[in-house]
Amino acid sequence: MKAFLRMFRTSLRQLLGGKGGLIVSLLLAALPSVVTFVETRDTAPSRVITIFHEASIGILFVIVLPVVSLVFGSSALGDERRDQTLSFLLLRPQPRTAISGAKLLAAWTLSFLIVGGAAAAAATVVGIRSGDWSIIGPIVLAMALSTLAYTSVFLLLGYITRWAVVAGLAYAFIWESGISLAVSGLSTVSLFRIGFSSYAAQVDLPRSLDDFLGTLRPGTGGAAAKAIVIAAIAVIAAAGLLRHRDVA
Amino acid sequence: MITDSPAWVGDATVEVNGISKWFGQKVAVSDVSCAFGPGITGLLGPNGAGKTTLLRMICGLLTPSDGSVTVLGQNPRRRPQVYRSLALVPEETAIYGFQTARQFVTYSAVLSKVDVSRVDEAIAAVDLEDAADRPLSGFSKGMRQRAKVAAALVIGAQVLILDEPLNGTDPIQRIHLIDVFRSLAAAGHTVVVSSHVLAEVERMADRVLAIVDGKLAAAGDVAAIRRAMLDTPYRVRIEAADLRQLASALLQSEAVEAVSITGRALEVETPDLVRLGRLLPPMARDLGIRFSLFEPEDLSLESVFRYLVRRR
Repeated sequence: MKAFLRMFRTSLRQLLGGKGGLIVSLLLAALPSVVTFVETRDTAPSRVITIFHEASIGILFVIVLPVVSLVFGSSALGDERRDQTLSFLLLRPQPRTAISGAKLLAAWTLSFLIVGGAAAAAATVVGIRSGDWSIIGPIVLAMALSTLAYTSVFLLLGYITRWAVVAGLAYAFIWESGISLAVSGLSTVSLFRIGFSSYAAQVDLPRSLDDFLGTLRPGTGGAAAKAIVIAAIAVIAAAGLLRHRDVA
Repeated sequence: MITDSPAWVGDATVEVNGISKWFGQKVAVSDVSCAFGPGITGLLGPNGAGKTTLLRMICGLLTPSDGSVTVLGQNPRRRPQVYRSLALVPEETAIYGFQTARQFVTYSAVLSKVDVSRVDEAIAAVDLEDAADRPLSGFSKGMRQRAKVAAALVIGAQVLILDEPLNGTDPIQRIHLIDVFRSLAAAGHTVVVSSHVLAEVERMADRVLAIVDGKLAAAGDVAAIRRAMLDTPYRVRIEAADLRQLASALLQSEAVEAVSITGRALEVETPDLVRLGRLLPPMARDLGIRFSLFEPEDLSLESVFRYLVRRR
């Protein structure tokens, strides 16, 4: 456990060293609050949540969530490979699942702190303007689940290819925001919808967001189970790659 | 397994059996069999000879395309527990720049499941006490090398693999590190040190394996490698008007071991360069030919090793 925590802490510091990605993430994270603040300026309190759902929730789920998760998820193992420190980790008597698990936990923690913080800040603006604080818990939980799914997939991508950021952006904006939105049957294999289905189960959503959910049924338990299964598969798959792939 | 070969040792802790590694069309290591035991073994060869690839296969970072490796009887690729007894100081940077030297060595200790009380001892062994609490990002190459050696020493591994560990170190640091490696060897550890500098290996290793173009070129004690080098003939490139006639005449002389025609030149191998030099002017006069070039090839370590590989 001591070694796992050391790997986790070191990974956090390594991820925070990527200043460019961190700045982009923080700037993006400010966007939902700013949009919510501007869009709800002269709105009646009863309409504030609706405006939030129409103007800000798309930015949170479709832009901030995948991009921030991509920054940290793809760097978790990718930075070790780039900095040639992967051999330092692999030449230790540690289970490979502990290495990949610590990496995923670090990537998820940072992604969630930023994306969850962004969601909480936007929900706080809603609370101040409307007096209704009911969405803050559900939106933060939704971000926790979706960041877990995203960082898991991007952790693997970051280890497999040096082009993880390009591939991740293509995935996020072509598949997630394009194809899976256009074809509602594909919503079950969309990562941002894992969190969104949890959110939809706890909050009354306007009809305009039906497309967001697609054919997926709202439910927090199912969403949590999906995210955890994806994370477990990613940890095991990454451990397998660490065990079998050459470290040149 | 050829256990009577000079590449083999009786009390082997690391055994390499017919190992090869190719990356696409490029063969990096070709059918190398050797063993390493207690003491210091130098792995000598020019840059790009395949030393790093061989060491990374021994450590389990690369899978052999053919053949097998065991460290203390185990395959490191399959059993990470062997890393309690095996440490590598890689040639590449491989440090966390944001950590201090002490944090880096402590990290190595914790991940290797050894007592962190050994950290100070390891840092002292490489003479880094004064800089131990400074970030590694500000270290010179030599200091980084020493930090990596400390991170390996803290494990107290039975087998220590050092890939060009003296790169970037100044002469005083070299002497100090060589003393550290020697004391480890004296304590019964297996220390494998790679280098492309013969003099460097000569100062620390009792036994040397020479590798070039991915093949084992020579093995034995340092004196045997020196002898092999002295036995290596000189190569001379000669350009003249009638190459065939000249080649035929040269082959009659005992001063010449081999002759080959490559393009517009003769490649001549001779054990005695001075004698060949004396032989050529009367030969040219008798044959009525003029030389346009007489150029001895550089007798670099690489050319010597290439010759040894061809001879095996």
